[in-house]
Amino acid sequence: MPDSATLEAVNIDQDEGAFSYPEDYKHDAGTGLNEGTLDYISDIKKEADWLREFRKKALKVFNDKPMPTHWASDDLENIIFQNIRYYLAKGGAPTRNWDEVPDDVKETFERLGIPEKERKFLAGVEAQFDSEAAYSNVKEALSKEGVIFVNSTEGLREHPELFRKWFGKVIPTGDNKFSALNSAVFSGGSFIYVPPGVKVKHPLQAYFRINAENFGQFERTLIIVDEGAEVTYMEGCTAPKFETATLHSAVVELVAMKDAKIQYITVQNWSNNVFNLVTKRGLAHENAEIRWIDCNIGSRLTMKYPGVIMKGRKARGEVISIALANDGQHQDTGAKMIHAADETTSNVVAKSISVGTGVSTYRGQVHIPKHLKGCKNNTECDALLINSTSKTDTYPAITVKGNEHSTQHEASVSQVSEDQIFYMKQRGLSEGEAMSLSVNGFVNDLVREFPMEYSVELKRLIDMEMEDSVG
Amino acid sequence: MSNSLKIENLHASVEDTEILKGLSLEIPKGEVHAIMGPNGSGKSTLSKVIAGHEDYAVSGGTVHMDGEDLLALEIDERSRAGFFLAFQYPHEIPGVSNANFLRAARQARLPKGEEIDAVAFYKEMYAKMDELGMDRKFTARSVNDGFSGGEKKRNEILQMMMLDPKYAILDETDSGLDIDALKIVAQGVNSMRSPERGFLVITHYQRLLDYIVPDVVHVMHDGKIVKTGGKDLALELEEKGYDWVTEELAVA
Amino acid sequence: MSLTLTPPDKMADKQSTDQWFASAPLTESSVDLPDWYQQIQASSWEQFCENGGPTRLDQNWRFADLKKVRLSGLLPAPEVDSASSVERALRNRLEAFAAHFVFVNNRLVHSETGSLPEGVICLPINEALAKHSDLVQSYFLKEEGCLGGSKFRQIHAAASLSGVFVHVPRGVICEDPILVNHFVGGDSSTIFPHTLIVADDNTSVSVMDTFQSIQENEETYAIGNVDLHANNGANLQYVAFEDASDTGAKHVQLNSSKAGRDSSIKSAFVNLGAAWVRNESINHMADSGADCQIYSANLANGIQEYDQRTLQVHEAQHTTSDLLFKNALYDNARTIFSGLIQVLPGSHHTDSYQTCRNLLGSKAAEANAMPGLEIDADQVKCSHGSTSGQISDEEIFYLQARGITAEDARRIISLGFLNETVSRLDCDNLKEFLFSRIERKFASLA
Repeated sequence: MPDSATLEAVNIDQDEGAFSYPEDYKHDAGTGLNEGTLDYISDIKKEADWLREFRKKALKVFNDKPMPTHWASDDLENIIFQNIRYYLAKGGAPTRNWDEVPDDVKETFERLGIPEKERKFLAGVEAQFDSEAAYSNVKEALSKEGVIFVNSTEGLREHPELFRKWFGKVIPTGDNKFSALNSAVFSGGSFIYVPPGVKVKHPLQAYFRINAENFGQFERTLIIVDEGAEVTYMEGCTAPKFETATLHSAVVELVAMKDAKIQYITVQNWSNNVFNLVTKRGLAHENAEIRWIDCNIGSRLTMKYPGVIMKGRKARGEVISIALANDGQHQDTGAKMIHAADETTSNVVAKSISVGTGVSTYRGQVHIPKHLKGCKNNTECDALLINSTSKTDTYPAITVKGNEHSTQHEASVSQVSEDQIFYMKQRGLSEGEAMSLSVNGFVNDLVREFPMEYSVELKRLIDMEMEDSVG
Repeated sequence: MSNSLKIENLHASVEDTEILKGLSLEIPKGEVHAIMGPNGSGKSTLSKVIAGHEDYAVSGGTVHMDGEDLLALEIDERSRAGFFLAFQYPHEIPGVSNANFLRAARQARLPKGEEIDAVAFYKEMYAKMDELGMDRKFTARSVNDGFSGGEKKRNEILQMMMLDPKYAILDETDSGLDIDALKIVAQGVNSMRSPERGFLVITHYQRLLDYIVPDVVHVMHDGKIVKTGGKDLALELEEKGYDWVTEELAVA
Repeated sequence: MSLTLTPPDKMADKQSTDQWFASAPLTESSVDLPDWYQQIQASSWEQFCENGGPTRLDQNWRFADLKKVRLSGLLPAPEVDSASSVERALRNRLEAFAAHFVFVNNRLVHSETGSLPEGVICLPINEALAKHSDLVQSYFLKEEGCLGGSKFRQIHAAASLSGVFVHVPRGVICEDPILVNHFVGGDSSTIFPHTLIVADDNTSVSVMDTFQSIQENEETYAIGNVDLHANNGANLQYVAFEDASDTGAKHVQLNSSKAGRDSSIKSAFVNLGAAWVRNESINHMADSGADCQIYSANLANGIQEYDQRTLQVHEAQHTTSDLLFKNALYDNARTIFSGLIQVLPGSHHTDSYQTCRNLLGSKAAEANAMPGLEIDADQVKCSHGSTSGQISDEEIFYLQARGITAEDARRIISLGFLNETVSRLDCDNLKEFLFSRIERKFASLA
């Protein structure tokens, strides 16, 4: 039996997010959800009346909408909304200096390697601890060019003219039950504006951390990239393992103006009792490009279908998705491609791996209406099943109107065959190593789409997940 | 401690059908043995049983490698102990590059915590690829994925060279090769002949043995070795056919 | 023998909607129908009355135009003069057949059974119910799964049926197809074609149903059910050829196949006519070695809407299935394809494929595709694909370069596109029949 220090070291290595700090919050909206909860949040944030009204309307929509269990997992019924805490914050505005971040929060992000990454390769960082950002900084050179990178509360307060123009426009409150919930109780998340022609070379990164039990995180992100500008945004997320389920329900809206490019990268590694129900959509104007690179490894149930509305001529949308569902996990992911202008093109490549009793689901929607011409969609989804208990489902829906478009959808399911493993073991690899290598081989072409630092991390996460999958 | 790969009275079956019926064979270090035999005599089964394939059940007999009980080891443990099988049908591993695969296999042979020297590894690999006339681009291609028959077999030999086994079985390595590829493969094997290594070459045709000249030739029939002789036995078999051996058996 | 429907008085007190029958269209037949069957009819009518019908949230009706589903004021098909229909049927039948039946408005009006091999039972369903009650009972409406059409199945089970029961005894090979023609006419008139085929061990049989309208511009309904059972080593083929009036006919057909050990079932839907078609096809690969092949060729124009939902269920190891559906769409036509492959736990070593291809020939045509997979087993080879597009200019150019007009080139390529599915069927005589009908409709589009 190794000593406790070794165990702890191993644990951190195995699951870097699996630790928590005692709770010490100045603001706590308590448990449960009603109009009072919304008032509490608005009061703390000193919000304008229109926003208070917006939240209350959203709560009504949320209450009125049924759970989408007629097509989605019944596991949704296990979310007890009245047992969730909707707002927890330590108070105080986010600082631009790591030294000013409260010690436990700072230590959390240090253990996750955030300050180090910032020094090495990021153009800006925002670190959210439960409901509010604790740290937020963007390199001075970018600020000078007019790039705004702040949390959503600050964005609303300091840049209302920009924020209000697009807020809730890409994803209306009533889009689905969880977008309505987010609209009612949102807090935190990023607001980014990149002025015309500015190409942000290094990625901006946000880091989301749930620390408290029974806490629901509802960040709201809005990214506006003006004409000809470019940005890459990355988000990572972790939470400790609690006894009870936790909810994360974000809304992310992207707006790419003419000729703009947005790349949005997610590495989701929530602990296995987080319900991760996220709505993400981008609006691409003429000749703009929006790419979602979405990797889901953690959570209990993830439901996330990043979408692109191609509103301007020659706009492009892309979703690259990797999902790994291990024991007890359900990764229900996919893509939504709405063609709304001529000569728009979309591409979806999704790969999922189901391990043990894991379930992975792909849901896709492609819509090409009839008044358009020259639209193209290509969708590929491949699933890899590791064990005989693993499960995978694929449910695409493609609507094409008119004779000037082309769509193509291919899906396949495969296994790592016994003979393949035998071959690798004959060369001296253990079963776990052989499996890791095969799985990494399966997603290899997609992992290459991630920035270097992330692809290394991703490979390591997959190795860890696969190690215990055999035997 | 004996210095050989020693198979004694080996019985093995697949799905209740006995294929190996008391096979005995000893390959001392430094020698090249060949097994010839008609289709269905159990040649490929022998190689898979020694490698530890789970479809085959061993019901009797032993296999010792330099005195170590090989049958007691897992598939990968046998490999790391120094046993190599060049497959008749090398499996494809989509998405995993040759370089990564070989590197992982080499890494698996290092003590825990020790990292492979990447520079030395690539240098060695390139040298061996040159020896086998393999293009550099090959390292980035997925293992055996979309390879021609000849490329697959060359790849098996490259892996053998890189993993430096004590004993190697070449299972029908000549099948599907044209004469030029065959010469290159044989050259690779010959370059590895050493007093520290034993080979067992399984083949249906004598052709390969023109290039890899064996010290001993065995004839396998119905799950057993039925005749053993020098390299001339292979020529005799080629000339007279396998019926000659089986008829001789019937007479005896 | 002729069958009549009771006037709508029985169970008239049952609450129903005015969109459907006001009461159960039960039979008053010249033959005695077995008790078990009458019980099924009665309980199905009750279920039908309680069933609220499909709703917008029902995934099996996604993309469907529910306005077209809400059938209004159905009436049991009345007895009509059948002479002209019979004459059409005889003029347009297969060159060779083992048996030929013609039903007009749910009544048998013509039958020839002289070429049937010995031992084969091939009878109108009501006669089979009376004469072979036990045999029919063990296969009758056994499908429990549903792809959304439960209300249709219930009314079908409650109604008076037309169509045939076929039983091929062990070892018998029935070379030529059995042909069954259904005609429907009269406003709001509804027929209930029922086909039940049982192919016992090591047999071979092929059956084609055709569906036509007595005349154009009448809003008629066909609510059919087809059950195919292939026992060990049997070879069963079934084709539904629908060419009803595109200005009025609504056609619903619920298929189910059950393939036993080492058996093979080929089933096909060919739709050229009708204003609205709903095809459901559930295919069970129930034992090892079972194989199901499901094909469809659909040529839709005007405001035709073809809505097809399929399920391939692999219930045993070493089973295979293949599905190929092709739609050629013109004008304002609309198609929906929803397919699901299910590989149940333990059904290892299965190979399963599913492809839907759409050729859109006009600006306003609309194709919806929902190809799905649910895989719960090991060592499975499974894939699906769907494409939508149009004939490329290069293809047209290639044919033009050989002296063919652009218009002809378009037709030749489209015809080839649809014929690919038909060409996978057995029986040349039957394929020729289908090719010629598809070609005829293409010619009429020009």
